[in-house]
Amino acid sequence: MMTTINAFLAAKGIYLLTLILLSLGAAGIIVCNNYMKKLICMNVMQVAVIFFFLCFGQKTGGTIPVALSEVVKASEYINPLPHGLMLTAIVVSLGTTGVGLSLLFRITEKYGTIEEDDLIRRENKTKTGEKE
Amino acid sequence: MTIIMLIVVITVPFIAFDVLPAIGDPESPPNSHVSDYYIEHAIDECNSPNMVTAVIVDYRAFDTMFETTVMFLAGISVVLIMANKPRRRIPSPGDFKRTRNTGGTPIYQTINKDVMISTIEPLILIYAMYVLFHGEVSLGGGFQAGALIGMTYLLDVMAVKRDKPIMNLTKFMSAAIAGLGPFIYALTGIICFIGGGLYLQYNKLPFNIHEAELHSIGITAVEIGVTIGVAGTIITILNALRERISFDDDND
Repeated sequence: MMTTINAFLAAKGIYLLTLILLSLGAAGIIVCNNYMKKLICMNVMQVAVIFFFLCFGQKTGGTIPVALSEVVKASEYINPLPHGLMLTAIVVSLGTTGVGLSLLFRITEKYGTIEEDDLIRRENKTKTGEKE
Repeated sequence: MTIIMLIVVITVPFIAFDVLPAIGDPESPPNSHVSDYYIEHAIDECNSPNMVTAVIVDYRAFDTMFETTVMFLAGISVVLIMANKPRRRIPSPGDFKRTRNTGGTPIYQTINKDVMISTIEPLILIYAMYVLFHGEVSLGGGFQAGALIGMTYLLDVMAVKRDKPIMNLTKFMSAAIAGLGPFIYALTGIICFIGGGLYLQYNKLPFNIHEAELHSIGITAVEIGVTIGVAGTIITILNALRERISFDDDND
């Protein structure tokens, strides 16, 4: 029994961890009231997806994907494809974070807050014509 | 809500994990089909021992070109979103200085950051150049070098207090620099037309040298474009955001 669990965790345990990370990010986006925290949770979700892809690149006993003269077999290098794809994904996540931050700046200038319930209350007040 | 999340987290693994390959299995589907081709042919076809660089700027060069364009568009959209003239900065420095308790210099001067950062910055830039130009022969690449250069600018602008800053780019200037990166990338592809090749087919570059050298030249030119694009975008985002905020040791 114990060896079964150990073998399962050694082979598939990392997927459990990335799933927990992804769920933490999703829960944060739904539950949090502050838009800044929502943006941070979005980044956590992106990191979880990046980890999930990088899991596929791993090979037991493999070396880094830089060609050496004494290592010729393809099974002795780890998979370069997920690394290349995720390298660009990391950089693009930086761009999305920048755009999100600038949108938060604009929200702060217009409403004076980034708390969601505060913001909805002020928007309703301005719609019905009341003054703060 | 929390209970639903917990149920999902506990049940999904036992249903879905049979589909996923085991960690480190060389025979698993993601490790067996196209990646073996990349590993075996990267040196012959691209003259690039670093297989990650071979994948992103030679085999999948179109993908990387539009990733760089996405970065440039992100920088442009940040500039456009922040294009209005703010009624006041957040928080307004005058109000902030009146209300805070401790005035003057900050109390956390444990190391001499002016001297330390000025010493470290050239080393970071040398390292960035190393990462850029050795991108195809060892670990490194354009994205990392661009991030290093952008972070050096960030460190210089935000941590060191100078009367006259060394590099002072406006956000429009840095957005123009960010646009130069995808331009160099696309120009490298267009130059390949002159030699009679397809777009981004590096071995048809119109220079009279060996094919492998042409691949190195093409990869390096593209990496320089990526570096300029990423560094310019980081500086653009920083400049656009920095106009609106103030810190407790600002002068103005």
